[in-house]
Amino acid sequence: MILALLASAHADDVVLWHAWRGDERTALEQVVATWNGAHPDQQVRPVFVSYESLASKLEAAVPRGNGPDLFIFAHEKIAAWTADGIVLPVSEPSDARLHPVTLGALRLTDDPRLWGWPLAYKSLALFHNRALVPEPPATTDALLDVARGQRGADRWGFAWEASSAYAVAPWLHGYGGGVFGPDGVALDTPANVDALRFVETLARLGPAEPSGALLTQLFNEGRVAMIANGPWFLGEVSDTVDYGVAPLPVVSATGRPAAPYVTVETLFLARDDADARAFGAWMVTDGAASVRLDVGRQLVANADLPVTDPALAAFRAQLDAAVPMPTRREMGKTWEPVARALRRLVRGSVGPEAAAREAQTEYAIVSRPPPAPADPRPWWVLGAVAALAGVAWLAREVRGAPIAAWRFAYAWVAPSFIAMTLLVVLPFLVGAGVSLFEYHDQAWTFVGLANFLDIVLARDFPLSSPLSFWSTLLVTVLWTLANVVLHVGIGVALAMLLREPWVRMRGVFRALLILPWAIPSYITALVWKGMFHRQFGAINGLLEAVGLAPISWFAQWSTAFAANVTTNTWLGFPFMMVVTLGALQAIPRDLEEAAEIDGATGWQRFRNVTLPLLKPALLPAVILGSVWTFNMFNVIYLVSGGEPDGSTDILISQAYRWAFTRGHRYGYAAAYAVLIFGVLVVYGQAANRLAGKKVL
Amino acid sequence: MRAPSPFHVALTHAALVALTVATLFPVLWVVKMALSPAQTFSMSANPLPTDVTLANFEAVVSTADGTGAWLFGRQLFNSLVVSGVTAALGVALACTAGYALSRWSFPGRDRLMGAFLLTQMFPGVVMAIPLYLLLDTLNLLDSLGGLILVYSTTTVPFATWNLKGYFDTIPKDLEEAAMLDGASRWTTFTRIILPLARPAIVVTALFAFMTAWNEFILAATLMGDERAYTLPVVLNGYVGEFGAEWGNFAAGAILVSLPVTALFFALQRHLVEGLTAGGVKG
Amino acid sequence: MATLAFDGVEKRYGQVQVLHRVDLAVADGEFIVLVGPSGCGKSTLLRCIAGLEEITGGELRIDGRRVNDVAPRDRDVAMVFQSYALYPHMTVRENMGFALSLQKHPETKSRVDAAAEMLGLATLLDRYPRELSGGQRQRVAMGRAIVRRPKVFLFDEPLSNLDASLRNQVRVELRRQHAELRTTTVYVTHDQVEAMTLADRIVVLNGGVVQQVGTPSELFFEPSNRFVAGFIGSPGMNFLERLDDDIIGVRPNDVRFGPDEPFAAEVELVEQLGYEAMVHLRLGGETLIARVEGTVAPGAGRVGFARAYRFDRATGARLPDRPLSPRGA
Repeated sequence: MILALLASAHADDVVLWHAWRGDERTALEQVVATWNGAHPDQQVRPVFVSYESLASKLEAAVPRGNGPDLFIFAHEKIAAWTADGIVLPVSEPSDARLHPVTLGALRLTDDPRLWGWPLAYKSLALFHNRALVPEPPATTDALLDVARGQRGADRWGFAWEASSAYAVAPWLHGYGGGVFGPDGVALDTPANVDALRFVETLARLGPAEPSGALLTQLFNEGRVAMIANGPWFLGEVSDTVDYGVAPLPVVSATGRPAAPYVTVETLFLARDDADARAFGAWMVTDGAASVRLDVGRQLVANADLPVTDPALAAFRAQLDAAVPMPTRREMGKTWEPVARALRRLVRGSVGPEAAAREAQTEYAIVSRPPPAPADPRPWWVLGAVAALAGVAWLAREVRGAPIAAWRFAYAWVAPSFIAMTLLVVLPFLVGAGVSLFEYHDQAWTFVGLANFLDIVLARDFPLSSPLSFWSTLLVTVLWTLANVVLHVGIGVALAMLLREPWVRMRGVFRALLILPWAIPSYITALVWKGMFHRQFGAINGLLEAVGLAPISWFAQWSTAFAANVTTNTWLGFPFMMVVTLGALQAIPRDLEEAAEIDGATGWQRFRNVTLPLLKPALLPAVILGSVWTFNMFNVIYLVSGGEPDGSTDILISQAYRWAFTRGHRYGYAAAYAVLIFGVLVVYGQAANRLAGKKVL
Repeated sequence: MRAPSPFHVALTHAALVALTVATLFPVLWVVKMALSPAQTFSMSANPLPTDVTLANFEAVVSTADGTGAWLFGRQLFNSLVVSGVTAALGVALACTAGYALSRWSFPGRDRLMGAFLLTQMFPGVVMAIPLYLLLDTLNLLDSLGGLILVYSTTTVPFATWNLKGYFDTIPKDLEEAAMLDGASRWTTFTRIILPLARPAIVVTALFAFMTAWNEFILAATLMGDERAYTLPVVLNGYVGEFGAEWGNFAAGAILVSLPVTALFFALQRHLVEGLTAGGVKG
Repeated sequence: MATLAFDGVEKRYGQVQVLHRVDLAVADGEFIVLVGPSGCGKSTLLRCIAGLEEITGGELRIDGRRVNDVAPRDRDVAMVFQSYALYPHMTVRENMGFALSLQKHPETKSRVDAAAEMLGLATLLDRYPRELSGGQRQRVAMGRAIVRRPKVFLFDEPLSNLDASLRNQVRVELRRQHAELRTTTVYVTHDQVEAMTLADRIVVLNGGVVQQVGTPSELFFEPSNRFVAGFIGSPGMNFLERLDDDIIGVRPNDVRFGPDEPFAAEVELVEQLGYEAMVHLRLGGETLIARVEGTVAPGAGRVGFARAYRFDRATGARLPDRPLSPRGA
């Protein structure tokens, strides 16, 4: 029934995936409605997919035939996508003159074909609050003057996402640097170091931890005079701010303009379909583009459409000093190393030279070509031997066992056993198999145990690096330990308080104290992340209220770790409290009364009578709870996000990063997963021994 | 027991009040954000709302998709169906397995029990890719059915473990009496054991429901169309990489948390018993 | 109503044998009590009849039909458990009618009402077990068995959870009901008073071996070995080991006092019980307990035995009666 509900009723429609929100989405839907009205046989159905998952979904779905006919995405991945057949070439638009930069971005070197219809372009530009800065600075020196001049206790002259590789690119280009040198990725060039020195200076003059959300808020509150931001900010800026937009300033040291990346929002063709082609060609006509321009406030690629909106005109001017986002495959692997180096630089833990050097080193690690393919033959033999041994073991177990007599019992466990094998064990085994491969440039190579050796021998990183397996393991163990101690400590303490019959409103207290358990953990994590925010968090608010200095919680390991632990403690103590309350019910109070008559103090009674009796009930909960905490991805990922510099990541979030944000090293991530499982199995055995019975 | 000293009583109440306030602080803060007109965080330590508006709730509830259909309703429906069916299916699977494991020492029982618990150690998020491929092979991608299948199986190990623990505490006499009364194994299970295990079943079902109600990483990976989204995916989008709609997030968070919280309080009575009388007592 | 036949029934758990070749024939309508110390296998034997334990050797027949491999629910036997095993989530009525309701029996209601009337439970039919006293629960458990009109009633120590006065009362009631219903009954107890008062015949078990089968008076007056002699009767038989080549058993009632009696004894202690008194004597270095009528203990002096039993020193088997030949005399 559910399947039928979801089955699409319009199998013939042209399906268009996009991640546009707000006005852009409204404009798109309006344009599509116009098309659908005029072409009843060629219906187009736009489907919104969140930006975070759009690319990975496309890469998984299109090759397997599950993808859309069309999709809208930035142009930057075309090199990989053309090679993988995710996008198809389209014919040259003949009905409209499109800006050459946008068309150029959609061609590959030495290949005249066009790989999509350019819809709009996006880049950074300078937003200034006219009340504070009537005239935008034309040079970086002028920018620094404003940044210094406008700086106050709670206000700043200039802010931008200083630790984003995208937002720093204009300065790299302005200083004559960039991500690529003549021989590929070159991050540690002198020009880049100069740019980073400027970035360091500029970042010091701005607010701490400048995220996109913070920029929006500060600018709208008039607390920052200028920001570098993209056209998407036009929809977020408050009506109360009188603002202007201008191209980014010229770098005083070199005389070159600060050139941001320009990305081209492109309509890609994923399936060769005449209706889809017709719609695509129509989308870039001036008529369709004018709706996107007027309703969506998009910087459309159509060169002949007049741009009257002054803000859009400024972005149009910025296009003349902009660098198309590189489409080379290596680009994708530079983001994280550069971002990590920038965070270190902005935080002040390294200087510009070291930051550039480390970025280059880490890039080399994530982009390292796969190890030499291993000879799979010994593995076939090994696999066959293991399979035979398994069968022999099974046969020995089964032989002589009264299987037939218990046939009914097997029938009772079979449904869950089969479901678990299929959907839990099988994926894990597939994952374990993947750990013997390396994924590089869309290709799998069999590498045997190379991933495991790399991880366990910490070949890429010094042991002390936050990215090394062993230091992450140490953090994970500390994390688990701290949480379990706090969960049990607080849970047991509250349960002891709550069981006293003379406590008033016991039921109310108990209900309120269980509340954290009822709230979804990702909500809790996101809320606590907000509460620990440097500028707007309630925790710093409380600190200031009592006269203490606010803390940058995620700038150093100790406070970031403490923030994670606080969140997870809030999340986890009710479980232990409930378990303890249940166990306490089973403990007769006369035992404690006997101890009291024997002269034991309150603490002695608890320590020598109550606690030993609680132990059998608490131990399994503690052991199971510690396994859950060990793999508690949500809190780490959402609260500290591994900050600073991956040092608060635990094994599972580290594995996730290797799989999804650090160059898609699936094999490496899978090896991590296998190691996590191994560590937990060893822990389980030890815990069983400690508990004196089988818990895990 | 002797009456405690007034000082002791006052101290205990003070400790309880302090811890309860600390517990409620983030919750009040979410309420404040949800009721505030701005989409931003506020720095003040005061968790009580100053300006009150229901605009955020309205914005969250009234979202529509490209065709103008009511999106929030659809997503709420998705969440309810996925979580409800997950709880029913997961508990159904776990009940029979847990009962068999509790009552019959068939060959391989201990190993099976161990295997169930072993799956608790599998690192979940990293399995998203193999799961994706698997569901694709089964043609269950982008369907609530696929999501339900994944969720209910992941809830089975803990559910089985907890229920087995509870079944262990039900005296064997009762089944023997039922057998002599002419009941089959299945009748005994449905007419005697299941009614008696109700606290544990209710609590286990609640946990299974919550697992599905709260999960967003797999849901975001496995579901493509926003009309197939569950609420956590939607909610995460409000404050994702490209959004900072904290007001909407908070309003959504309250809407999402309310049903579970209500269930939780309604079942609170069972919670202690269903969780501790059985499984955890071990 | 049915007969029961045990033909070399054995039960073993792995290496441990808990029942050794039990042979027994129970007549239709007979009230059989299985008695013995804890761990003697009496409950196992009962559970074998119910089908809750599988028989590992021999044959068990109910009404002539071999039931070794028949499932409990197909044996048509009813059992009252020591714990009563009342279904906590069902009312008294539902508990009593459960078996019949499974068969959708048309007389469910009338039979439950009749049994409730008979057991004095009529006003409690809508209560839950947790709302009943111990004695009431016990009666519900009995009612549940009665309602079914099974071939055989099985009782597993049904009175052990009741206090002493209630126990006596229920015991009488049980006997009265059996007189009325005449259903073949097997009753397990470790209490020999219950055994003596209830049974048509008693089976004494020890270590999984049947020691003796007989009527209460047969067992009391003609025990076949030392174990039975010691187990049946309260206070138990005195065993004197130094008086003769064999072990001499004397029931406390059989101790006579008088100047002409053959043995000199010293009075150590007198327990006054009202109607009677227990006199603890010292005889040749051994303790002998005598039961005398009245409230006044006789003075020290000489004792003799109205009847003395003789048991083999090695095997404990009963030996033919013959006059005492005091050692060293």
